[in-house]
Amino acid sequence: MSGDSTSELIMARGIKKVYDDDGVPVEAIRGIDLVIERGEFTAIVGPSGSGKTTFLNIISGLDTPTEGEIRLAGRRLTEMSAKELSDFRRDKIGFIFQAYNLIPVLSVEENIEYIMLLQGVSKTDRRQRVERILAELGLEGYANRLPIKLSGGQQQRVAVARAMVSGPSLILADEPTANLDSKTGIELLEMMRELNEKKGMTFVFSTHDMKIMERARRLVTLKDGRVDSDETKE
Amino acid sequence: MFLYLKLAIRNLLRNKRRTFIAGSAIGIGLAALICTDALILGMEENMIASATESFLGEGQIHRRGFRESYEVDKTIVDPQGILERLRNDKLVDRAAPRVITYAMINSPANLAAVSMIGIDPEAERYLSQVDEALVEGEYFAGDDPHDIVIGQKLADILEVHLGSRVVMTAAQARSGDLSQEMYRISGIFHFNIKEMDRATVFVRLSQARKMLGLGDDIHEIALTLHDREPGLNSDDPFWGRYSDDENEAISWSGLLPELKTALELSQFSTFIIGLILFGVVALGIINTLFMSMHERQFEFGVLRAIGTRPFIMARLILFEAGALAALSIIMGNITGLIVTYITSKTGIDYTGIEFSGVTFRELLYPILEVKQFIVYPLAVFIFTILIGLYPAFSAARLSPVKAMRRSL
Repeated sequence: MSGDSTSELIMARGIKKVYDDDGVPVEAIRGIDLVIERGEFTAIVGPSGSGKTTFLNIISGLDTPTEGEIRLAGRRLTEMSAKELSDFRRDKIGFIFQAYNLIPVLSVEENIEYIMLLQGVSKTDRRQRVERILAELGLEGYANRLPIKLSGGQQQRVAVARAMVSGPSLILADEPTANLDSKTGIELLEMMRELNEKKGMTFVFSTHDMKIMERARRLVTLKDGRVDSDETKE
Repeated sequence: MFLYLKLAIRNLLRNKRRTFIAGSAIGIGLAALICTDALILGMEENMIASATESFLGEGQIHRRGFRESYEVDKTIVDPQGILERLRNDKLVDRAAPRVITYAMINSPANLAAVSMIGIDPEAERYLSQVDEALVEGEYFAGDDPHDIVIGQKLADILEVHLGSRVVMTAAQARSGDLSQEMYRISGIFHFNIKEMDRATVFVRLSQARKMLGLGDDIHEIALTLHDREPGLNSDDPFWGRYSDDENEAISWSGLLPELKTALELSQFSTFIIGLILFGVVALGIINTLFMSMHERQFEFGVLRAIGTRPFIMARLILFEAGALAALSIIMGNITGLIVTYITSKTGIDYTGIEFSGVTFRELLYPILEVKQFIVYPLAVFIFTILIGLYPAFSAARLSPVKAMRRSL
C-alpha cells in the first residue's frame, strides 16, 4: 500500500505498549487508534504517565508497539529493519527535543548540516539550504557559534532548523517549549505554526502547557494510555 | 567524512584531561615499546660485538674435530692456501692464523692450567681486541720471541707482574713429548671476561709453532667479514665455501649457539613486552571510549533518532579511536625519540654483567631505527582501531529510546 500520495500521514490502529519493569508488566499505552492528516498542527496532551512520549516514540519508529499497526507516509514501521528505520527517520521525520539536544561540539551551521550530510546532499547545496533556513528562522550571524553560546530560545530555533532543513513529511516535537520561558515558548510555537501554514509541514507535538495548547489546531488528549478526547478547532 | 573527523576530534577535546591521560598512557606504552626495541637491538649489537670483536671473530676455520678435542695434531689442512683464498675473498675483511693448545703455566709462587694461544700480533691487532685490553705493559713490542701476555686475574693467581718470568709446559704434536719454554711477561690484559682473564695466555705464533713442533701448521683461522649476515646464519653459503671433508668453517652463531639462542630469546622478550604493553594500551582505549560513550549516551540516542545509521554510529566511534591513536602516537613517538636518543648518546652501563656466556665489555647504546617510528605506531593505530570495534559495535547497537529515556 502506498499511502504517500494520500492525505493520511500517520495511521495508528490498536496500538498497545507494555513495558517490563523488573518483571512487572506496565501498560504505557492501552489501545490507541488515531489518524493524522498531512499539514496538521496537532498537540498530544495529557498528564504525566498518560503515554504521550511513548506514543510519539512509536509513531516515529524509535520504539515498537507490543500490539497494533502503525503506518507513516504509507510505510508499515514494524516491518522495517534498523537501517531502514534510520533512513526513514532521516528522510521523513524531523525531531525537536525538549532539551534542544544539539550536538555540542558542532557549530550551528554544522548541526543543521548534519542530517543533509547523512543524506548525501552536496556541500554547495547544504550550505545554500543552511543559509536559507538560518535567514528564515532569524538566526543569521549565528552560523559559526557553538550551541552553548546561544540562549535556550535560539538553541530551540536551531533545533527547529535542523528538523526542517531536509524537508521531512513530519516534524515531531516532545515538549518543545518546556525549557523555555513563556514568551519565548509562544514565539517558538508561533514560528512553528507559521512554517506549518506556509510550507504545509505536519507538526505533532506533545505538551502540557495550556498557552501552547491554545495555539494547536487539533488537540488529542491522552489519559491512562488511551485517547480521552480528540478536538479540532475551526 | 570531514565532518565526522571533526566531530571525533572535537569530542576527544571535550574532556581534555581524560584524553590527555588516556593519550599519555597509550603514548607511554608506545614509547616503552620503542625504547625496549632500541635497547634490545643495542644489547644484541653489544653482545655480538662483545663475543666477536674481543677475540672470537665473526667466524673461524678449524680442522674437523679440533673444537671437540683441542688435539694438537688436528691442524688445518692447507692453511696457506686457505689464507690466500680468504685474502682474495671480497666478503672477508680480516683473517688471522692461530695456534691453540692446553698448557701449564708455572711461576715461582703458583701454577695454573691455561689455554696458550699463538697469535700473529699484526694480523690480530685488526681482528681482535687483545691489544686494546692491555692494562699494563706492551702488546708484543719489539721482536723478543719470549714475550707472553697474560690475563690480570691469572697474574694475581701466579703472583707475577710485568717482567716476571714464567714457564710454559705443553705437549708437542705427533710425538706427544712435553715441551717447556721460559717466557717473560710483557703485557697484562683485562677483557672483563672471566675465562679469558684467568685462563688464557698469548704468545707469538712462530714461538707457539716452534714449541709445539707444528712447522707451518695452525689450528685456527679467525676472520671478520664486511657483511654481518653470514655471521648470523651458520647455514650461509659462505661457510660452505671453506668447509670440506678435512676443514670446517663456522660462523660465530654456530660457535656460540647459546648466544644465538639468547638473541632469539631477546626478540621473543620484545614480543612478550609488546603484548603486555598492547594489553595495557587496550584497556586504556576501551576505558576512554566507554567512559566517553557513557557520558554521551543521550547524545548518541539523539544521533540515532535523527537518522544516523548504526554503521555510521560505529564509524564515529572508530574515528574517535583513530584520533585518540593519532594523538597517542605523536606523544609516544616524541617521548620514545627523546628517551632513546639521549640514552643512545650517553649509553647504559651494563659492563661486567654476564649474559648467556657473554660479558658486556662496553656501555650499551640503544639503537634508533626508522622502523621503530613506523612499524610500532602503525601497530598501535591498527590495534587501537581493532580495540575500538568493541565500543563501536556497542554504539551501533544502541537503542535510541533506551539512550534517551528522558525524552522522545
